[in-house]
Amino acid sequence: MTGAPGNDGCGAPAGGAALPADAGHQAIVQGHVTRDGTAVQTGYARLLNDGGEFVAEVPLGADGGFRFFAAPGTWTVRVLAPGGVKSDQTVTAGYGQITAVEVSV
Amino acid sequence: MSRSDVLVDADWVEAHEGDPGVVLVEVDEDTSAYDTGHIPGAIKIDWKKDLQDPVRRDFVDKAGFEALLSQRGISNDDTVILYGGNNNWFAAYAYWYFRLYGHHNVKLLDGGRKKWELDSRELVKDVPERPATHYVASEQDASLRAMRDEVVAAIGKRNLVDVRSPDEFAGRLLAPAHLPQEQAQRAGHIPTAKNVPWSKAANDDGTFKPDDDLLTLYRDEAGLDFGKDTIAYCRIGERSAHTWFVLHELLEQPNVKNYDGSWTEYGSLVGVPIELGDGQ
Repeated sequence: MTGAPGNDGCGAPAGGAALPADAGHQAIVQGHVTRDGTAVQTGYARLLNDGGEFVAEVPLGADGGFRFFAAPGTWTVRVLAPGGVKSDQTVTAGYGQITAVEVSV
Repeated sequence: MSRSDVLVDADWVEAHEGDPGVVLVEVDEDTSAYDTGHIPGAIKIDWKKDLQDPVRRDFVDKAGFEALLSQRGISNDDTVILYGGNNNWFAAYAYWYFRLYGHHNVKLLDGGRKKWELDSRELVKDVPERPATHYVASEQDASLRAMRDEVVAAIGKRNLVDVRSPDEFAGRLLAPAHLPQEQAQRAGHIPTAKNVPWSKAANDDGTFKPDDDLLTLYRDEAGLDFGKDTIAYCRIGERSAHTWFVLHELLEQPNVKNYDGSWTEYGSLVGVPIELGDGQ
């Protein structure tokens, strides 16, 4: 049950998986969540497709970071954090690009 | 079987902290999450190191499961409460796995670690010590686990539920979008499978939706024929364990199997049919 080559599970490490060596062929959406300039360490970032469907979710990293490996197109990053925080941002991703999303809650 | 037989809420966990006969277990996709803080009294099971054979692609065998639970101090009579992050998907996988080896007194903490965190409940770093036990497992319950030949034979005959995201189902992504996209396998889905993403069964806070909503989702909207047997699959069998839990434990469908080989196996088989696109 080790998954496919180069991948050892469906798991979502806090902050998102590390950048792979072939990052040039990925459509990456990544960023950080902050509150008053301080990293939000407890919370979740989820990726929704252009139909609003859930695609993936990661716990925020120690630096408030998250990373997704999407496909070219329009995506929504939704941040959930304690205190009923829910914040959406729409982004466009493309192969070979890193789309940065900085979220302040 | 009612929801209270298979789910507990956070208040229940807080009220039963330290109860003999109740073992709280965190099973997370991020296996380091437990070490950064966990629910008081919880022990950890690592879905990869503890539950997978280190060489073959398969589960640990019966003796291995017995050794694991004995070492962790879990008895056959204990009530095991499982929880984890991201809508409990790995906890649901562990739940299915415990049932596979015959442990029936097992429940999920509804909402799991995510709801616990979002509610700002206490997390601790203390690791409890539990005396070793002599756990005795049953043989794997074959009625809960589908293997590849059975899946191929089920095309067009049984309900096949592909619980991956719409983009993975259609073949636009090969892995969940929190992981680098792979190149090695074919993309797509098993012909005749219905796409009901696992996450649709959960609210944003990770709790399961009400039964009526779940019935609408699977039976009315997706068109599953509840008169037929069902096989759920995803990419490696963890998200589909979540859907197995919904169909088998919450909606009480009698014959539901999880295909843990899932797309990483099916999408690499030679000669089997594959469909692309969004489906019906």
